Amino acid sequence: MSALGAKPAAAGDIDPISSVIGIVLAVVFVAIVAVLAPVALMPLLGIILGGVLIGFGVHFVPVGGAPAAMGQAPGIATGVAMLAAGAGLAGLFGGAWAAELGVVVATVTGAVGGGLLMAITCMMVNIIYVFGMGIPSASGKVAKDPITGDTQPEFKSQGTEGHGLPFISFVGGVVGGLFGGAGGTLIYLMLLEVYEHYLPGIFDATAAQIMPVAVSLAGIFAIGMFLVNAVLAAYNITGTIEGPHDPKFKRFPRAIIASLVASALCGLVAIMIVVVNLNI
Amino acid sequence: MVENIVLGIGITALAGALAAVAGAAEDTESDIGSQGDPNSQVQLAPQMGFIHRIFNKAVSGEPPAYGLWCALGAGIAWVFLIKDVNPVLALILGATIATFVQGVYATSGYLGRTASLAKFGQPVYIDILKSMLSVTMAHAFVAVFTTITICYLMNAVLGHPFPLPLLGIVWGIALGAAGSATGNPFYGKERQYQNQQFGAGVPISASGNIVRYAEAGQRNSLDNGWFSSKLGGPASGICFGLIVFLELWRTVLFEHIAAGWGAIIVGFAIILVFVVIDRWIETYARKTYGPYAAPEEANL
Repeated sequence: MSALGAKPAAAGDIDPISSVIGIVLAVVFVAIVAVLAPVALMPLLGIILGGVLIGFGVHFVPVGGAPAAMGQAPGIATGVAMLAAGAGLAGLFGGAWAAELGVVVATVTGAVGGGLLMAITCMMVNIIYVFGMGIPSASGKVAKDPITGDTQPEFKSQGTEGHGLPFISFVGGVVGGLFGGAGGTLIYLMLLEVYEHYLPGIFDATAAQIMPVAVSLAGIFAIGMFLVNAVLAAYNITGTIEGPHDPKFKRFPRAIIASLVASALCGLVAIMIVVVNLNI
Repeated sequence: MVENIVLGIGITALAGALAAVAGAAEDTESDIGSQGDPNSQVQLAPQMGFIHRIFNKAVSGEPPAYGLWCALGAGIAWVFLIKDVNPVLALILGATIATFVQGVYATSGYLGRTASLAKFGQPVYIDILKSMLSVTMAHAFVAVFTTITICYLMNAVLGHPFPLPLLGIVWGIALGAAGSATGNPFYGKERQYQNQQFGAGVPISASGNIVRYAEAGQRNSLDNGWFSSKLGGPASGICFGLIVFLELWRTVLFEHIAAGWGAIIVGFAIILVFVVIDRWIETYARKTYGPYAAPEEANL
């Protein structure tokens, strides 16, 4: 069966063949690390978990894109990947600061950093809509807010799909920020662990001397992997999403598989640059 | 110990104030250049027959654009700092060079985007390019300089482990995210569609029919910058200022309590406060403005 002859899958469906191929590839990537660098096996699994957290978390973030900037659709008026990146990287900033306090504290600190950015941003969105433009929040996807029970359709102005951030979208934004911040920080911490282990040998230097290089490398790869997973999730969402109550949210299993495979590959590359010593 | 905390609080306050300026400058800059999501309407208008003199320099979303400019500015400043140049001078030089890069992007962005609309009769106005470019560059300088100064304070004074360019990427993207999320609706709906009803979203059928005339003559993007700087800009400034201030404040003051859990608990408490404020705003709007149609007539 050629690609052209294949039946187009429904929007939310998981394609079994490509999913199995992807998971097999991920297992191969993990196996390569297990053989070549057993010390980096647990960090790689941490990286994969971080990537999955990011991919899942992006689905919570209410993103309205260009229609939201005109009050034509609910959500935050910017792109999915970009908003999630803003929140996740703010989380990564906090998490990296707390790295010396241990993985659990640093990851939760990162999560809170991401959630805090989203809480402030979502509140300011509603302030602009309500006090700057005189427009109340209304969802276009549900008749009642699942949390507050507020009815939505009568607050939707004519010719639009809704506007602003109903409470469920606000909560979704904060939850998305928490997941993104935790995922980004986890990737950073795992990579830092690998680099702290391997770099002193490569540079023939002490652990303290290689610290700036280790932190920089881990930070750059963490930001890169964050963007990979956020963009994958954005492709899965296709355009805009209102939050966890949006029917598009149900597509998240597909994004989790994609994030798992992509994070395994990116993690493999990030680990191999210090494990494989080419002696050039 | 006490001196450290006092210094930390002072730096936190300074960083918060700088972030407020950065957010306001970023949003005004992006609105003058129609960078954010509202650029879709500026691009669409000529295709619907509405020829205009609005500047449109969008080459990407605001977060990646500011990620680039702030990383560039911070990176250049970092090189000067390694060469023992005075930090203030290094930051100014970094921001200046980043601003010139922004100017190059803005020029190619406007020429490329507008030239692609030639088949719809949209002219490329050289006077618009000349008069808008310097204004966006000036705002970009303020936004980039203040942001990389925050990054410098975080790195050099508060001791964050990330090097300056990495902090530039992180806070540049966060600045763009905060500015676009808060400022875009005010420019996109409230300014571009001033001809539509106040207190309602723009009907999808009105897309592209942006306001093209000012009190005297045709409207240009300096008029839009003036309008945005009244609410969208300051609101973006408050948004980014709160993000930077509260993130630093909870870390500087509470990270040493309960092995890091103090900052986490305070962070969750702050989030909870914003949840309550947001819910109050939502119910205030529903009660004060009321529904657009009777509930029984509403259907999905």
